[in-house]
Amino acid sequence: MSDENNIKNKVNHEKKYSIFQIAMNLTVTCLVSGAVIAGTYFITAPVALKTAAKIKTDSMKSLVVGAQKFNPIKGKAEWFTAEKDGKIVAYVVPAESKGYGGAIKMLVSVTPQGKIINFDILDSKETPGLGDNASKDPFKNQFKGKEVKQLEVTKDPTKVDQIQAMTGATISSKAVTKGIKEAVQKVTQFVGGK
Amino acid sequence: MRELWDIFRKGIIAENPIFVLALSLCPALAVTSSAINSLTMGLAVMFVITANNTVVSITRKIVNPKVRVPVYITSVATIVTVVQLVLQAYLPVLYKALGIYLALIVVFAIILARAEVFASKNKVTPSFFDGLGMGCGFLLALLSIGIIRELLGTGAIFGIKVLGAWYNPALIMILPPGAFILIGYMVAGFKMLTEHMEKVKLEKVKLERGEI
Repeated sequence: MSDENNIKNKVNHEKKYSIFQIAMNLTVTCLVSGAVIAGTYFITAPVALKTAAKIKTDSMKSLVVGAQKFNPIKGKAEWFTAEKDGKIVAYVVPAESKGYGGAIKMLVSVTPQGKIINFDILDSKETPGLGDNASKDPFKNQFKGKEVKQLEVTKDPTKVDQIQAMTGATISSKAVTKGIKEAVQKVTQFVGGK
Repeated sequence: MRELWDIFRKGIIAENPIFVLALSLCPALAVTSSAINSLTMGLAVMFVITANNTVVSITRKIVNPKVRVPVYITSVATIVTVVQLVLQAYLPVLYKALGIYLALIVVFAIILARAEVFASKNKVTPSFFDGLGMGCGFLLALLSIGIIRELLGTGAIFGIKVLGAWYNPALIMILPPGAFILIGYMVAGFKMLTEHMEKVKLEKVKLERGEI
């Protein structure tokens, strides 16, 4: 008698897990999950867009101090001109080069005469504490006002008009300098060809 | 009340996710190079594990045991995505610093383990406190690793210089090998602490029985 009951129970148990129920279970889960994510996205997406745009203009403003307006250049993706009192005072262009730990992405501001104003490292995977210091002074400071021909990395401290390599991070130093040099060359080409 | 406190407390010391259970060591190594990263990661995990434990506990009678794991994973993934979207909108700098590890919270062993071991078998309130306790343990572990690494590796805590110019930063501490070495020592230290606590407890019991 008890055996029979056991079998009956087992059958009932099996029935409870019908394939339809299991499928429904997963469907409902995914439906709820989708609804929750969609709801959150609906609220955060406009904020995220605004934050991203603000970060970009903030970063450009710090690159070209005093500029009032940034206009995208037609035909050049991610290129911007910085205007002050209606005159173009600088070009803000992206630069990229291969560093020690992967690509280094930068934003460089250059005057129409081909002098560097400043630069910003947007994304890099350089060694923290060594190559990572490229975004800090004193390395960063060296670039201000430099021209293309001065953009050579040196380990000789007497060559004051060149770029002094960071101790223990020659590859990162060279990579950053190369990326900036290319950006400056592109800008001079662009201005000259206008 | 006392029970809830015990549930909460065990996650912090007796069953600390990192030092005792040794779960989710990968993020403990990867994101703890600075105190602020550790804090954000810890808070994110604490939120996810608590929310997930609650959800799993609420739905424990509806969810079919045969498909419980996919359901749990979907639940964790949903919560993590929500955290990601919120961080991206309001704290973009931290969002960038955490990078891929934020998305990887979905597959953290500790979260699925608590859902399976605890939340699927207990009522909502104890499950909530279990998640909170485990999350707190995780947060404290990550934070202590992060603070020590940042202090030894750069001489600063939360980006504020604490040690003067005389200190020559030990770079290895903010590189991955430093994390391995430090976690090794901390696990050992934790083991000593728990062993000592058990010894004290045992002596207390003996004393009560009048054996000594």
